[in-house]
This record gives sequence, C-alpha cells and structure tokens, in this order.
Amino acid sequence: MIVSLARMRLFSFVRTGRAMAPFLGVLVMLGVIYGGGPAQPGEAYGFSAAILFPILAWQTKILLDVEPDVQRRLTVVAIGGLRSEIVAGILAALATGVVLVLLTLVVPWMIGGITGPREAGDPPLADGVIAGVWANLLLLPPALALGALASRAAVGTAARGVAVLAGGAVVGFAFGVRDSPVAWLAPPLIPTSRSTVDGLAVGSMLGYTAQALVWAVLVLVGYVMLRRRND
Amino acid sequence: MLRGVTAQLNPGEAATIVGPNGAGKSTLLNLAAGLLRPTHGLVTGRPARVGFVPERFPADQPFTARRYLTFMAKVQGLADPAPRIAELSDRLRLTPLLDTLLPELSKGSAQKVGLIQAMLIEPELLILDEPWEGLDARTRDEVPLIIAEILAAGRRVLVSDHFGQTAELPGIRVWELVNGELVDEGTDDEAKCVVELVVKADEVAKTVADLREGGHHVNRVRAADREDLESWHDMARSEGSS
Repeated sequence: MIVSLARMRLFSFVRTGRAMAPFLGVLVMLGVIYGGGPAQPGEAYGFSAAILFPILAWQTKILLDVEPDVQRRLTVVAIGGLRSEIVAGILAALATGVVLVLLTLVVPWMIGGITGPREAGDPPLADGVIAGVWANLLLLPPALALGALASRAAVGTAARGVAVLAGGAVVGFAFGVRDSPVAWLAPPLIPTSRSTVDGLAVGSMLGYTAQALVWAVLVLVGYVMLRRRND
Repeated sequence: MLRGVTAQLNPGEAATIVGPNGAGKSTLLNLAAGLLRPTHGLVTGRPARVGFVPERFPADQPFTARRYLTFMAKVQGLADPAPRIAELSDRLRLTPLLDTLLPELSKGSAQKVGLIQAMLIEPELLILDEPWEGLDARTRDEVPLIIAEILAAGRRVLVSDHFGQTAELPGIRVWELVNGELVDEGTDDEAKCVVELVVKADEVAKTVADLREGGHHVNRVRAADREDLESWHDMARSEGSS
C-alpha cells in the first residue's frame, strides 16, 4: 500500500512535468562544475554534492506539493493513517533523489569530467570516487528532510515554504565555513566538500555522517509534528 | 469549533449531520475520518476501512479516471481492482468516461469518481460530505440505495447535508449542530419511503397482491417510461455479465 502510494505520487510528479525543473537544474549545475575541464573525483563530487543539496530539497518540496490538499486527505483516509502517508511521501522523494544523485555521479564520466591523480600525493582514483559517492549519499537524508519541512502540507503557504527552503540552504552553506563555531547546527555541506578533496578520511566521514543523520532526523520530527498539527 | 459533542454510531446505523454553513459539519466528518484530532476528548472505535467522499472531488490531477481508481484501490490494498472498478463504474454510469483525464470530466462525473474511490474496499464506515453536490438526477437517486445497501451489510454511514435531503432516508439518525454543540434528534420511526419497481406486464397483478399481502401500500401502477426501461436493461446486462 505504501509502495502503491509512492508510485502514485511519482506518476503525478512526472506526468505534470514538475520533475523537469530539478532535472534541468542538475544538468545546468553539472555544466557549470565540469565546463572548465576534468577534475579529480573527490574534489568534483564533494563540490557537486553541496550544490545538489538545495536542488534535492527543492525537488522533494515540489514532489510533495503536487497532490491537491483534498486528495492528500483522501489518501490519508485510504491508506489508513497519516504515518503511512508520510512514509510513502518520503519513499517517493527518496526514489527521485537517488535518480538525481546517480545523474550527478554518472554524467561527469560520460562527458570526460573526471580524471585520475595528477601529482604525487593526490588521492587514488578509487578513494576519490568512494569519498564522492559517500558525500552525495550523505547529504540526501537532510535534503529530503528539509524539502519535506518546506512542503505545503507542513507549512501551509508557498511563502513559508520558500522561506524554509531558502533558510535551510543558506544555513547549510553559511554555518559550514571553515572554523565556524556553529557548524554542528547545519547539515555538513561545506565540511563534507572539503573532506572529500583528501580522499578517504574515515574518522571525519563517520562524524559528518552522524551529523547529517541527526540533522535529518530532527528536521523530519519537526515535519511530522507540523503534519500532525495541520492534518 | 465543536464542544461537548458526544455521539455514537453503531453497526448498521446511519447519521446525517445537519446545520447551516459553518456549523462544523465538515469538522465533525474530519474527526470521524481521522483527519483531525480533537483538542479535548476522544474518537474511539473507528473501523479500519473508512471511505471518504469529499464535497468537491479534486479533479486537477494528471490521471485518467481508471488509472486514478486503480491507484486508489491499490493504496487501499486491493490486489486486483479492475472488476470492482468496472462494477461501480457501471452502476454510476461512469464506464464510458473511465479513460478520460480527470480535469476533462464534468463536475458531476468527477464527483462520481469521488464516490467510487470511497467504495472500492467496501468501507465499514462511509463518510460523505454533501454527496449530492454536482451529481446528475439518476446518480442522486442512486446514493440512498448505496447507503441502504451499506447499512444492510451491517456497516455505518455518516453524511453531512446542509440541504437536509438525507434526513428523509428511513431509519437515519439526525444529528443537528447548533452553536458548536451536537443535538441527537434520533430517528424518525414514522418515516416512509417510495420504492419504484419495474416488473413484466403479465406479473403486475401478482406483484401488487404480494406487496399488499406483505403490508405495503401500493400507490399506483403505470406504464414504464424510457428511463425505467434503461434501468431494466442495465440490470439485465449486469446480471448477464456476472
């Protein structure tokens, strides 16, 4: 039932053409990042993961906003409760998010955007790829959570939704600058990006993973609380 | 805002919520459906399978009626929804429009889709928010029959109705909302209904006699008109296909 509802949402998202905007956004992003020539995977993927964060959040908001409000109520009754409806929405957002992440990871290889080590001391190609894939997957949960929090069902109006989305993205970038004392308050966009340049650094990877997951869980709790209050 | 509301709907019972616009009819329906939580108090004993018909079906969606109903059936756990969709569409005369996109349907046809989606899984509690809005005359006549069938199966129906049409249904409880409070006016035990039958001409005398023997009052006998015959043929077709 949850999978059927997720499929219904995905069908609606694609059929209404709303899937095109974030898809094109990713292609533009890749054009800008790789337009200057090939880069090593850790560096390029780390940077693209940070830029992908607001696009993933935006896509999640668009996906969850496709359904008319009355239809959402019908769906809650049909599936037997708010919890299953919320899980189905997150599942659909996860599926679309994975597509964008795969696009971000695969397209650079197709256009010659990735290169191996250039100088002694550069991380091996495989290390850079693993670190880059990790960075992209790491930022997916907080991006989905931010997009869900910005959705109409949670915040009620388009203006509030845009404010939450933009605010979350700005916090992610601004709080993550080097030596920021409040970096722990935001999803680790910039720290992750810096970390992947050096290849595999298991200690910091685990730390950032925990930070991203805690941030995502807290924001999702906020989303669920708003949904319970509004529905 | 509702306050001090205490009401119970038993299996096989129907209630109509009457009251002016803004009296809180939709709020009460949403509480019953589980779409709202009361700030104080409890809603208990809600059945697992609930069907909800909104006042205005949200037709601004990129599905054909058939695809929409199929999705909604699967969301409700129906593995093979095609026969059920065919049965209900036939009954509400939506079959020719099943492959039409929802935004292209008339308001009445879209409302039929709303009715069908609520009945796909044979709900234990059917909630209808102003079910007559936008429906054509024949489908409006069908709604009381649907309600009667649901009640006969021991299930429950809750209707909001600011025109008060449902209050005429036999055995239905009338819940009136006055200043946010619910007044249970009970049922009208003296309520009567008119049942229209179509019978073969050579069986009229026997049918009338049987009905009178059963304690029913027969008003009149007339020749079947075109609409009656269509209904007869619809029934014959559905019996032939089942």
